[in-house]
This record gives sequence, C-alpha cells and structure tokens, in this order.
Amino acid sequence: MIQKKICMVGVFGAGKTCLVQQYVHSLFSTKYHSTVGVKIDRKTVALDGTDLTLLLWDLAGRDDAGDIAVSYLRGGHGIIYVVDGTRRETFEQIFELRTIVTKAIGEVPSVLALNKVDLTESWALQPADDAALAREPWKVIRTSAKTGEGVEASFAWLAKATLTGATQ
Amino acid sequence: MADPNQGPEAFQALRDLVVGPERQRLDQLEAEFDGSRLTPDAIAEHLPEAIALRAGQDHHLARALGPTVESAISESVRRNPRQIATAIFPVLGPAIRKAIAEAMSGLVRSINTAIEHSFSVRGLRWRWESLRTGIPYAQIVIKHALLYRVEQVFLIHAETGLLLCHAAPPDLKVADADLISGMLTAIQDFVSDSFASAESGGKLRTFSVGELTVMVEPGPQAVLAAVVRGQAPDTLLPRLQDALENLHYQLAGPFATFDGDATPFESARPTLEACLETVLSTDRREPRTGPGLWLVWAVPIALVILIGLVLSIRSSRRWDAAVSRLRAEPGLVVVSAERSSGRWRLSGLRDPLAADPRTVLAAMGVDTATVDGQFAPFLSLQPDLVTARARRFLKAPESVTLSLRGDTLVARGTAPVAWNPAAGGTPVGVERVDWSGVEPVLTPEAALLRTEIERRRVLFDVGSANLGGADARLRQVAAAFQRLVSAAGGRPGSVRLDLIGRTDPTGTDATNQALSRLRGEAVGTRLAALGVPAGLITAIGVGIVQPLDEPNPADRARVNRSVSFVVRLVRAE
Repeated sequence: MIQKKICMVGVFGAGKTCLVQQYVHSLFSTKYHSTVGVKIDRKTVALDGTDLTLLLWDLAGRDDAGDIAVSYLRGGHGIIYVVDGTRRETFEQIFELRTIVTKAIGEVPSVLALNKVDLTESWALQPADDAALAREPWKVIRTSAKTGEGVEASFAWLAKATLTGATQ
Repeated sequence: MADPNQGPEAFQALRDLVVGPERQRLDQLEAEFDGSRLTPDAIAEHLPEAIALRAGQDHHLARALGPTVESAISESVRRNPRQIATAIFPVLGPAIRKAIAEAMSGLVRSINTAIEHSFSVRGLRWRWESLRTGIPYAQIVIKHALLYRVEQVFLIHAETGLLLCHAAPPDLKVADADLISGMLTAIQDFVSDSFASAESGGKLRTFSVGELTVMVEPGPQAVLAAVVRGQAPDTLLPRLQDALENLHYQLAGPFATFDGDATPFESARPTLEACLETVLSTDRREPRTGPGLWLVWAVPIALVILIGLVLSIRSSRRWDAAVSRLRAEPGLVVVSAERSSGRWRLSGLRDPLAADPRTVLAAMGVDTATVDGQFAPFLSLQPDLVTARARRFLKAPESVTLSLRGDTLVARGTAPVAWNPAAGGTPVGVERVDWSGVEPVLTPEAALLRTEIERRRVLFDVGSANLGGADARLRQVAAAFQRLVSAAGGRPGSVRLDLIGRTDPTGTDATNQALSRLRGEAVGTRLAALGVPAGLITAIGVGIVQPLDEPNPADRARVNRSVSFVVRLVRAE
C-alpha cells in the first residue's frame, strides 16, 4: 500500500477545511486546529487500478503566513495551497507561504486550489492575478467547497503527481 | 619422371606444413577427452567434494536440487509414510510435547484465575459488575487482573509520519492506525516545537491517558510507539529500543528508498508482534503486604475466636454451677465431673429416691445430650432421704408429715383409722417411730355410721336399769357399729364403743353412780349378745357428772336417765 503525506496550507479563513471536509475520512475533530495546529485526515484515491492513500495534514490557517508550523510540513510529498478567490489578501499571502514551504521541504508537487469559484459576484481576482499564479510551479485548479467543483480533480492530480514527480 | 617435389609425399609434407600445428592440437584434445571421460565411477569418486565445493560457492545447487528433493520426499511419504514418520519423530515429539505443555499451562492458569476470583469478595464484586454492565465475566476478570498489556505497536516513518507497520492482537479492532500514526507524529512535533529548545532536540517519549500509556521510542528513520494498558514495567522500554534498533538494521534498504510504499515493512511485523504481550496480576504473584488484607481476615477470625471463648466460658460456668447443684442434691454423691473429647463425664453414687441427675442438669441449662453419667446405687442417711424412704416404707398418707429427731421418726397429722403403720416394723435408718402426733380419722361413710350411732340413746325408767323396750334400738346400734368396724378395717381394736350411763339428779351421788354403771353394763351385755365383740365395748357410769344438755327442763331428767354411745378411735401404738 502506498501512502503519501499531503499538506494543506493557506491563511486563516481560506476554506481549507471546508474544501475537503466531505471528501475525506476524519477521525479527529476540528478542535485539533486550535490546539495542536494540525488535523490529519485520510483520502484514498484510485489510480490506474491501485489505491493510493493520501494522509492530509490540514495545517491550521494563521492570519500571518509567517506563523505556519514548519515542522508539520516535514516529509510532505505534496502540497495543496488554498486561496479564497473572494478575499484578495489570501491570494497575496500565498506567495509568501510558498516561499516558506519550499524553503522548508524543497520543491514538491503542488496544487493551488482557487476556492469559492461559485461566488462569482464577489470574485476579487483579476486576470493579471491568474497570470501571476500561472507563473508558479503548481497546478492551479478552481474549486468550490459548495459545489464540489475541482476537489476530486485536485486530489487525483496531486496523487498522480506524487508518484510521477510532475510539478505541473 | 618422378619429381621429389610432387606426389603423395609432397602433399603430405605440404599438409603437415599448413595444418600440422592444428592437427597436433586436435590429437592432443582427443587424447585429453578420452582420458577424462565422465564415467559413473569417476563421478562417484568426485561427487561429494563437488557438491561441497559448489554449495560453498553459491546457492545454485540447492535451488537445482530443491524440486527433486521435494518430489522424492513426497514420493517416499506416499509409498511408506511410516519410515519418514519414524525418522522425524525425535524432532516432532519434543516439539509437540512442548506445544501441548504450553497450551495446558495456559489453560491451568486461566482456570486458576477463574477459581481464585469466583468466590472471593472481589470475585463477587466482579460478577456484579458483569451483571450490571452486561460484559462477560471473563472480560471483567481480565480487565481487573490486568497488570499491563501492550495493545498496539506502531512503526512510524520519522519524517513523514506515515505508518509503516502496525501490530495489534486479533481481538482488538483498530481503525485508522494511519491517522493515529500521523497525529502522533504531529503531536510529537507540536510538543517539540512548543517545549523543547533547539539544542536539546527533545522528543515526546511517554504520555498517559487514563489507563493507557503511550511509549514512544524515536529512531533516525522510524519511531516505535507502543500503547500500553495498565502499569508498564521498566523492562518494556529497553525491549522497544532493541526492537527499533533491529528494525533499523534489518530494514536499512527500504528506509533509504522509502517514498510512501509501506510494503517492504511488512517484514517488521514479527518484531512488532513480539512486543505485544498481556501480563495478568495472576501470572505474577506479588507479595501480599500491608495491613489491609490480613485485617480483612484477622478481624472475623478474632471475632469467631472471641465468641467461641465467651461461649466456652459460659458453658464451663454453667457446667460448674450445675455440678455444684448436683452435689447439693440429697442422695447424690458426685465423685468426678470432667470433660473429655467434647463430652462431660459424670460418675458417683445415687440413692434410688434421689432426683434424676439429668433432670437437675437440664434445669440448670446444661445440654444433657453432651453428658455421660454413671451412678452406682446406694442408701443415703440424709434426713430428707430417710423420711422419704420411711414414707414409702410406711405407705404414709399425704396428711401425715414425717420428720427425724435423732434416731426417732416423728409422725404428725391425721391418718385414716384403717392405716396400720406398725405392721411392717420400723423403716431403714430409724430406731423408733413416734406415732403420738397422728390423729385417726374416719372415712366419710364410717363417719355417717358414727353419727347415726352417737345420735341414739337408751332411756330408762326412774331408778331402773331395765332395758325394757329398747331392744330394737340396740339391734340397730349393734348392726351400725359392726358396719363401722368393718368399714374402718385395718388395725383391730382401733374403733371402740363407749357406753355412757347417766341418772337424773334425784337420789344420792353414790346411788346414781352405781345406777348409771348398771345401766351401761346392761346395754353392754345386750350389745355383746347381739354380736358386738365384748372387747370393743366399754361401759362407763358417770352418774350426774356430765349431764346431757336438754333445753326443756321438764325433759332434762328423763333424757339423762339413759345410756348414750360414743365411738372412740384409738391411736396406733
């Protein structure tokens, strides 16, 4: 059985937990975020007939990206960055987060989940921002916790990428 | 013409020149080949060395021979199983015995545990808990008797927190070991980040949750975490360390190339399972010290002993009192009173008239079923016994009281005139009997006869002692007296008839005295003639000394010219 450690990072309120909540198997309550600072869930992805188990380390979001608990990133095989498309500051901080992560564990397959795409009227990002995101070595996937759009795709892409080593 | 450079010789020479060296080598090879032909003899000669040589070089020989050996064994077993069985028995026998012995000792231990806890207070409490909670008794026993149990062992990749291998007993269902493994790593990181300084690089080693203790042994590549229920012994940690070191050594390759695939780490399972164990308190006898346990037993035992002592003292005192009472009892002589083998034994002398010793003991509260008594008969000279015996001997009626004054038995009271105590002589232990205090009495029937007799009078003419027409009356008196004598029965002469003759006041005293006497004698003579024994009749003349009372003065003289009758009862002598 192959397992991969996936870390989910994003500033406070980006919607990381909401995004995956109904797609993963949880043993621990969200209380862990405020106590230990991380909550671990499991997501099994079927890839070409074999199951791959993703251990999702859902890191507590902080207001300041610099506060992230670097220890929890150690050994991560993949990263899911979460940005709230309706809150521009989450977009701005994601680059800083990425710097911290790559400094801690190097370059690993990553997904940038551009969340809350169902809220088009309050969308805060410009086409230029999309271009800025596209320049980074991560797979940008538009997601919605409400409709489920892009969630499974994010897991599937990242699972495969951790096996092949692809970054985009 | 023949040219020496032509012809077969020349050709031979040319051939030798061209292919000679090759030819020579071919011949040499042919000779070598012939000389080293692998005949069975040659193979037989070199086979053992050859096998040994090759086996020392690599495993090809074993691999090649494997299938052949396996099928040879199968074939042998198929044809004659007995031979193989005999051959491997020395190996299998001890192994089987050992396995059975282990299984039996396990069974005996669990039976011991069950018995030990079945009837103790603790056992009853556990049974109640089982009833209350619906959990089987056996599980309750294990829960309480558990000293410690290593329930789960995790082998966790140090860097990623991914679960490499996990061992738990079959009866323990553990879901999400991978999540627990991850979270355990996260918590370790959390504790290190929060509390350990960078230099010390400390790790969370042990933490406790309720009955559980989690022992975490960190290594460079992996972390070994053991979940222990109960009191983990000191020896557990070194064992975990040993196991982790062995795994690092054994799995160095897989650790180096680990990229999420835990399959190679399956081989760590036996090592992890070796760390699982359950130790019950019944497996290890702890010295039972402290005041609690012995007090629990000592107090009831002391109470029982105390109660026993009190009962024994009370019983002993009651016995002593009963024996004293026996000694005081008239006609009983207690020679010995002792206790032996749980029973009281009494021996002595008993007058037949004395009280029954058992009745006396029972009245004093002694359980006579525990008493054996042996009393020889004797005659007691104690006054009570002498009088009692005399009463029996004399057949004295209840109305007579008997007492002893020295050697004399004194009788008092009233007795039927028929009673004749002197008939059988004096009783045992008595020299004389004083009957003077006993007043004879008549039976009611005899008393009626007496009244009838004494009511009658025989009247006389003035100055006469002639019976005249009194004959019929005298016959009645005679008959009545004879009936009275026979009704009184018993002692002869005990009932007598006195005839009292009287006169009227006229005339001299001397004349009257003589006349009165004559009158009495006349009646006596007549009564004797009518059949009354003369010895029982006494004629007395009183003259005018004791006149009969008569209210009418005119009749007073007439009434006193008479003879009246008095029935007299005579005391025994």
